[in-house]
Parts: sequence; C-alpha cells; structure tokens
Amino acid sequence: MMIESDPDHPLDPVIDLSGLTLRRGPRTVLADLSLQVGPGEIYALLGGNGAGKSTTLAVLLGFLAPDSGVARVAGVDPAVAPDQARRQIAYLPESVALYDQLTAHENIAYFMALAGSEPGPDIIDAALDAAGLQSEARTRRVGGYSKGMRQKVAIAMAVLREVPVLLLDEPTSGLDPRATADFNALLGRLKARGTAILMVTHDLLGAADCADRIGFLAGGRIVEEVRPAEGIDVMALHHRYGEVAAA
Amino acid sequence: MSLWSHELRLFLRQPLAAPLLALLLLLASASVWAGLAEITRQHAAIDRILPQQAADEAAVAAWATREGDAGNVAYYTHYATWDRPSPLAFAALGQRDVAPFVLRIRALALEGQINESEAYNAELALPGRFDWAFVLTYLAPLFIIVLLHDLVSSEREGGRLLLLTVMARSETALWVRRVVLRVGLVILTLVLPLAVGGLLSGAGQPILGMAGLAAAYAVFWALVCVAVGRFRLASVTSAATLAAVWLIMTLVLPGLALLAINAAVPVRQGVELTLAQREAVHAGWDKPKEATLAAFFREEPAWRDTAPMRSGFHWKWYYAFQHLGDLSVAEQVRAYRAGLERRNALSGRIGLLLPPVGLQMVLHRLAETDLVAQLTYQDRIRRYHRELRHFFYPFLFREQPFGPADFARAPRWRDSADTPRPPRPGA
Repeated sequence: MMIESDPDHPLDPVIDLSGLTLRRGPRTVLADLSLQVGPGEIYALLGGNGAGKSTTLAVLLGFLAPDSGVARVAGVDPAVAPDQARRQIAYLPESVALYDQLTAHENIAYFMALAGSEPGPDIIDAALDAAGLQSEARTRRVGGYSKGMRQKVAIAMAVLREVPVLLLDEPTSGLDPRATADFNALLGRLKARGTAILMVTHDLLGAADCADRIGFLAGGRIVEEVRPAEGIDVMALHHRYGEVAAA
Repeated sequence: MSLWSHELRLFLRQPLAAPLLALLLLLASASVWAGLAEITRQHAAIDRILPQQAADEAAVAAWATREGDAGNVAYYTHYATWDRPSPLAFAALGQRDVAPFVLRIRALALEGQINESEAYNAELALPGRFDWAFVLTYLAPLFIIVLLHDLVSSEREGGRLLLLTVMARSETALWVRRVVLRVGLVILTLVLPLAVGGLLSGAGQPILGMAGLAAAYAVFWALVCVAVGRFRLASVTSAATLAAVWLIMTLVLPGLALLAINAAVPVRQGVELTLAQREAVHAGWDKPKEATLAAFFREEPAWRDTAPMRSGFHWKWYYAFQHLGDLSVAEQVRAYRAGLERRNALSGRIGLLLPPVGLQMVLHRLAETDLVAQLTYQDRIRRYHRELRHFFYPFLFREQPFGPADFARAPRWRDSADTPRPPRPGA
C-alpha cells in the first residue's frame, strides 16, 4: 500500500520527540528538542559537529535516556523498553562494520536471524539488488569490501527489516554519486511502504533531494525547518546551513 | 538455519577459533593417552609380580626350609603387595606418580619398609604428571580466556557493537548464546577424550562426575571472563587482566596456601620415621633379652608360654624386637598420619575458596589417587603384615618346624573386592 504523507495533516507520528533535554556534565546536548516524523515521511536532520544529531539517534535507540522529555518509537519509549523500541527500528550506521569472515549473504542472514527473521537467499538477493551490490561480490567474504559495498550490505539489511522506523546516520557518506542516486530511489520506495525515516546527514544536497522536511539542529534544538517540496533556493539553504553549523 | 548454527559458523570462521579448539583437543587427547599408558604400565608391573613372586618363593623355599626354621623363612621371604589403579586413575594420576603402588614386605619391622620408599625426585614431582586433570586445571582456563576475553570488546573495537545491539531481539540472549557456545565447545573438547579414555578403561558412570566437574570449572572461568568484561576494558587489557587472574588463582595463591599449610601443620618426614624405627630395632640387639620379650608379651600375650630363651640368638627374640621397633614409633606414625590428614583437610578448605585447588582434590578423590587412597593402601599393608606375623608366630614361639608345605599356607595379598581389573588390551 502506498502511503502519501500530508504535511498539513500528518498521521500519528511514528517518531515522536517531545521536549527532550539531555545534559552531559555541564553541557546541554539536547535542549527541549521536539520532532515528529510520520509514516511515509523522510526527515533530514542537519547540523554541525556537536549539534546533537548523533545524540538524538542514541536516544531513539535507547542508548541514552533524556533528563527530561519523552521519546517514542512507534509508541514505545526507548528509555523504558529499549529492546522493544529497537525491534521497531532499522538502523544504518555511518561506518558499517560487518563480519569480515562471512559473505554478504551470510552477514545479512546472521543479522536478520538476530532480529528474529530468516529471509531466504532469494529475498536476500532481492534486497542486495535493491541496495545495488553487484551479484559477483555477494559470495565473497566482506573482508575485501570497500566502504561503499559494506554500506550497501547494511542498506539491504535495513530494507529487509520491514519495520516502521528507519534511522540513517550519514547514509551516503561511502557511496559514489550513482549509488547515492540509487539509494535515494530506494528511500523513496521505503517511504512509499510507510516507513518513517529519520536521516542524520551533512549532505545538504542529498537531503534536499529526498527529504520531506529538513531540520537544522544547533545547540541541541531545531532552529529552523524547511520543506524542499515547497521550492527552496538551494544556494540560500546552503548559506543558511553554513551559518547554523558555524553557530 | 537456527541462531545457534549462525553463531557456530561465525565463531568457527574466526581465525583462531578452530585451531585453538583443535589444539585443546590434541592436548586433552594426549593427556588421556599418557594417563592410560601410565595406568597400563602400572597394571603390567603388578601383573608381573605374581610369577616373579612364585619364583622367588620357590628359590627361598628350596634352601630356607631345609632346617625347618620359620625364622629363616620369614627373614628371607618378601611378600608382594600392590595397589591397582582405579578405572578413573588415568585422568588424574595424583599421588600415584610419586607414591609406590607395589611394595614387597617382610615380616620384620614394618614402618621403615613403608616409609623408606617415600623418597622421590622432587624436581620431577613438582610439576606433576601430564594428565587430563592438569590440562583441565591449568590449561583449559587459558583457552577459555583466549576465547572469551574479547567477547564484547572485539565487537566494540570492530565497530559492530552498535549494529549488533540494535539488531538483536535480546542483547542479553546474544551474549549468553555466545558464551554458552564457546564454553560448550571447550567442554566438549575436554570431555570427548575423557569419555574415550573412560570407555577404554571401563570407568563407567563415575566418568560423568569428572565430566560434570569439567563443565562446572569451565563455567567458573567463563564467569570470571564475563565479570572482567563488564569493566569495558580494551581487548588487550582484558587479556592481560585475565592472564593475571589465572596466574594468581592457579599458581600463586595455591603455592602460598601450600607454604602456609606446611608452616601451620609441621609434619616429620617419613624418612625420619624409618630412621627412628631402625635405631629402635638396632638398639634391640643390646637390650636384655628378657626385658625385650617381656615388653613383647605385654603386646602379644598369646605367646607368653613360649619356652625360655637359651643364651645366644633365637629368632623369636629377633622378631620380638622387630615388632617392638614398630611399636616404638607408633606415636610418631600416628602424628605423621594425623599431620598429613590435617594438611589434606586444610587443602580441602582452601579448595572451597580456590576452585583450581578444589577441583584437583575432587578429581583425585574420584580417581582414588589422593592421599586418602594412599593411606588406605598403607592400612591394608599394615593389616596384611599383622596376618603375616601371626602366621609365623606359632612356628617361632612354639618352635614348630616349618616345611615347604607351610609356604603355601602363608597369607596372600589380595586385590580388594572393589579393585578394578586392568584396562582392556590395547588401551
């Protein structure tokens, strides 16, 4: 079923952050951060180093508990039930590390088994097709893979999870332009499937290409939000991003 | 394909996993083979005694009975005793590599005969035999440490921990499964050769006790690894920490405990007993015969009505002061034994705190190769020696002639009812 998000009438948010504040010693990493992502929506979170992007993901994954505010993933508070929350999430880390001694197929089969799913070889192949990993590489051990190839294996895993939430941490950092385009197309298909996608990235152009909304994070809060669909001046956006990142 | 199969494939594809398990299997198999070879050698040595004993007796009988004097016969005839290894002894040789398992005794003073064989090469005795108990106690923990020291840290250092944590339905189940798999394979590697050895030696069900101990010991070391892992150390630091724990628990603390026990419970050496008894026996030559016999009759009143001693030598006087020699060191023998038992008991208490010590004690008890088994053998020798003395006393004190036919009536050492038979041929 295709789900079209309507920015003016969002469905119940699948990712729901309300008034999150998190301190690390004297430093406030997240300051009253609120953010909602509905089903079939792609939200890109941009920000400079230390803006709180990775911390936001860590809260959603249940690795960090906020000092105040509530996070919910498909209705589950990760601070209360991290395992349950993670079952709703497919996660693509910035630097994908796999088991070098296993093939791409075996890696995917292992991680999917951990998640409680046993996709057959054909299904894994279809996911790897979607991720763009060339077929001759699939039976080789991933020890010899490039960063981009590993990224594609992880993307295939994210596709196979079939969960309501996809968290992406710099997803295109290891991909060449063509693979990036393929990846964006893949995101489009996941979005159509109803997946709520939160993407943390530095890639403003990539975000503008695929995201429904782009939030600029600075000082632990969203200082500005834009909707690329409404027509934006990319150069002006780039300039603003530079200002935000510098701030 | 189940998660266990996935984990097994992942584990066995690690560069070191399969070679390590193969090495442990090789060591465990070699230790079982060495243990079986030693036990087979001991059985063979015991089996060689009977025909040699018969030949020896025939030679003595040929000339010692010519005069019909039992004293001559008792003096020159050695009677064989032996202590067959239990079917489990191959796995934990214990005291059997230093304590005698064959002792030929005469009807003379006994304690010297028992204790003079105590001397052994201390340098060889220090490391002990290479047996299965050694592999389990000292080497298996090292393998467990190598396999478990970086259980989590390798994932963290390899950058996979986050992905693993997010993907796993239960993070706890993930780590438990990995620990169980590794420890299970180590246990299997240790127990398989033991089971084969048990089959060859006819050990039967008691082998399960040893297998259970191996499993419990492996789990203990796995828990130590998990406990150290909770400090989130780097893999190298974790390995160094665990190696230090191994060194302290298996070598340093047991060594210190041994020193403390030896200091707390001083025990005279067996050779001192031998010396004291010999001196008492030799002094018997210079004591008045009447006094010697009077002292002997207080212990053995049944022979009080023997004919009065004529001047010169008589075997009954000689055997009287031999027995008095034993009695003169009886208190020292009791103290020596009590000291050994006290040390053993203290070692048992330390074993409750130090699993390597406790494990070895229980293994040696199961294998009947410990101090208790050694002392039991000595007690049987003492009972047999008493039978021998009382066999000869009527001939000596009633001055009855001792003929070749009497040889056949002498008490014989028997395997105890629960003594096992030798291993099957080929073991």
